[in-house]
Amino acid sequence: MHIPDNYLSPATCGTLIAAMAPIWTVAGIKVKAQIKRHHETLPMLGIAASLAFLIMMFNLPIPGGTTAHAVGGTLLAVLIGPWAACLALTVTLLLQALLFGDGGILAFGANALNMAVIMPFVGYACYRLGQKLHHEKLGLAIGAYVGINTAALVAGIELGLQPLLAHTASGAPLYCPYGLNVAVPAMLTAHLLIAGWVEVAFTLLVFQFVKKVAPTNLYQVPARTNQRPWIALLLGLAALSPLGLLASNTAWGEWDATELKQRLVQQHVSTSAPRGMVHGFHFQALFSNYDIAGLPISMGYILSALTAVLIFLLLIRGLQHETNTINH
Amino acid sequence: MKPTPSTTNLPEWLSNPTTSPSRPSKVNFWQRNQRHLRGLLNHLAQPTPIVTDQRWHITPQIKLIRLLALVILIALINNVVLLWGLALLLGSQLLWLPPQQLRQFMSHWLVSIGIAAIFVLPSYWLAGPATLGFFIFKTSLMLANAQYYRFTTSVQDLLTGLKALHCPDIFIMTLAIALTYLRMLGQHLLLTMEALELRTVAPTKHPYRLIGALFGNLYLKSYTYALELYAAMEARGFNGHYSRGIASSNHWRDYLALSPALVAWMLFIFWGR
Amino acid sequence: MLLLKLVNICYDYPNTCGLDQLSLDIHAGEFVCLMGPNGSGKSTLLRILSGLASPTTGDYQFDGQAITATYLADAQRRQQLHQRIGMVFQNTDVQLFNTSVAEEIAFGPRQLGLASAVIEQRVTDCLELTDCQDLRDRIPYQLSGGEKKRVALASVLALNPEVLLLDEPLNGLTIAAQQQMLTLLQRLQASGKTIIMASHNYQQVQAVAERFIIFNSTHQIDADLARADLNQQPDRQAQLMTL
Repeated sequence: MHIPDNYLSPATCGTLIAAMAPIWTVAGIKVKAQIKRHHETLPMLGIAASLAFLIMMFNLPIPGGTTAHAVGGTLLAVLIGPWAACLALTVTLLLQALLFGDGGILAFGANALNMAVIMPFVGYACYRLGQKLHHEKLGLAIGAYVGINTAALVAGIELGLQPLLAHTASGAPLYCPYGLNVAVPAMLTAHLLIAGWVEVAFTLLVFQFVKKVAPTNLYQVPARTNQRPWIALLLGLAALSPLGLLASNTAWGEWDATELKQRLVQQHVSTSAPRGMVHGFHFQALFSNYDIAGLPISMGYILSALTAVLIFLLLIRGLQHETNTINH
Repeated sequence: MKPTPSTTNLPEWLSNPTTSPSRPSKVNFWQRNQRHLRGLLNHLAQPTPIVTDQRWHITPQIKLIRLLALVILIALINNVVLLWGLALLLGSQLLWLPPQQLRQFMSHWLVSIGIAAIFVLPSYWLAGPATLGFFIFKTSLMLANAQYYRFTTSVQDLLTGLKALHCPDIFIMTLAIALTYLRMLGQHLLLTMEALELRTVAPTKHPYRLIGALFGNLYLKSYTYALELYAAMEARGFNGHYSRGIASSNHWRDYLALSPALVAWMLFIFWGR
Repeated sequence: MLLLKLVNICYDYPNTCGLDQLSLDIHAGEFVCLMGPNGSGKSTLLRILSGLASPTTGDYQFDGQAITATYLADAQRRQQLHQRIGMVFQNTDVQLFNTSVAEEIAFGPRQLGLASAVIEQRVTDCLELTDCQDLRDRIPYQLSGGEKKRVALASVLALNPEVLLLDEPLNGLTIAAQQQMLTLLQRLQASGKTIIMASHNYQQVQAVAERFIIFNSTHQIDADLARADLNQQPDRQAQLMTL
């Protein structure tokens, strides 16, 4: 599920990293509270990150002789808590991107959103729901399945939006060449049919083992939760959402929904007769068409990134003050 | 006291040889995983020697900034001439790699391009050869830059760079712990698989149950490691701040090293469109 | 009967040497103790004997059959070798992965396709031999270090191997448990098993092992002596005491 570089437009990457910033901030605050209760959570973040790395590189056999691998997002959320899992998986993804070339450097925000946020939180929510209804294992199984598939769906949408968001004047896609009609089904089929079930089996069996052997080592839900970080997360996301529009506005903001649809149709019509075939392969002429991006998009990108960073810093500043007053 | 041997009460089955059943075995995924894990552990134990040119030594944070600046730039640019220039820039940097490393670089790079290209090849029928060629060109350029960074930066440099760029302490500490324990947990996982193999005397019917036990144990081991590590951290007076020596302050060489990326950015902004 | 034969074995780790030009014959029914400083190659030799690692150069024969990387590539042959050669790891944490001690011991015999009554008998016998009866329903993960050692030995014994390889089996055991373990090993030897154990504590194994293979820090065999011969060399004995 790791999205490599150049499949997502820089605007999308920037937006997703900006969207991740408040989530990481809140996760940091939540985990600090968890560390106060269980000191070992601090080193556990790093160790869990390496555990996730090993889970992702372990080949599991699937019928038919091939292999797949689990991601372990839901499992980690249940084992060390969803916020800690979010941070640990983020570190894993960063390691993979920077040191092992697995997943893109710019696409890091997108990969983190899919695998370090959506997957553990969706999975954990299902697990908690199941726990409340006294069907813990069922909840976990559903959580693992729904979690990985939601993440795959979001990844499919991220990829599938690219031809709409970034293309040349003639409609040739600049980044991921597949539209929603290809990317989403492709991602979902693979995960609904195979990867999802692998994830379920893996998650359930490891959970069952730990539950039986050392039930106290599972994440214990704190008795009373502080609602403030949630509110902060929502506020942060709300503050950043217009930035997402700003970042991608220059590419497609002037169209409304129906025009967008027309664009999509037009794009796929043009596919039946690619320019390369019609006009022959003329190097200079071909590539001169790609010069649509320029000053406005880059400046907008920089400005939005700077604004996001500033808001992010302000948010940390504000929250720091609050947590300090709570402590004293 | 010398123990006295006696066979009187040894069970009978222990004194007679046991014959193991001969059943055909299927493809063994345990072996494959052991091989992958050994590869990873070898890589971690003996990373590719990092090229450090003393004359052109630049600080880790500048390296990181240069990487990000170049990758973002390549993603943004749609002008072939500029991209070409960046490719030449990177190519000339590669000239300074020792031959052995250059070969390694090339093989890793070609493999990663191959993997990235597999997914995009079907789009040939969707968007034509020009789009496909352009996409693969840009992707390979980005991959080459990332690969060059990996080849010229040690793990320690990465951590120092992140620290110098004011990354939160908790994050850097987590990253450092993750790197250290990746090796220890990997070693533990490998030994467990070997122990499992030694006691596997016939094809296993339900490998998944064993995998559950394997990773369940690995999680419990990581939990033990975490407890030990925290105790050790506390014993050494850990106060929640992770400090790491920051390399010498920025030097003119650092700006010189950044200058090609900056020039490319300028060209992109004022001329690229 | 010549059971294990090593000729000019070298084993190289990625950046260090593990074993250097090692030749060795071990007969069925011997009780051999590998001694030497840490990192001198004892564990590496045990890994080669068990079939977990293949020597870089040199020949290894088990019961007349050359054990090469190609031979081990076949899963069925590998499994047959593992049935005949059992190994207790130094770090027994990695060896115990079931949810109860009884399950742990039954893991091997169950694969052999034995009847459940036979398996049950083996479990009971192994628990009794290693003095673990009271641990039967405990969870291996929660046991103490010494208990884990005993359970690991029991789980290997349940497969009834001809050769028992033990890597530092006495570490973490109380004095009484050490005596018990050594007595058991002697009994197993008397019933025809070949015992090869690595240790760096000469005092513990002095009375039980019959042959001492002493490694030096350059990964070579320094001396290969029967107990009676070693007893004639007080200098060497004194040197072994300081390992």
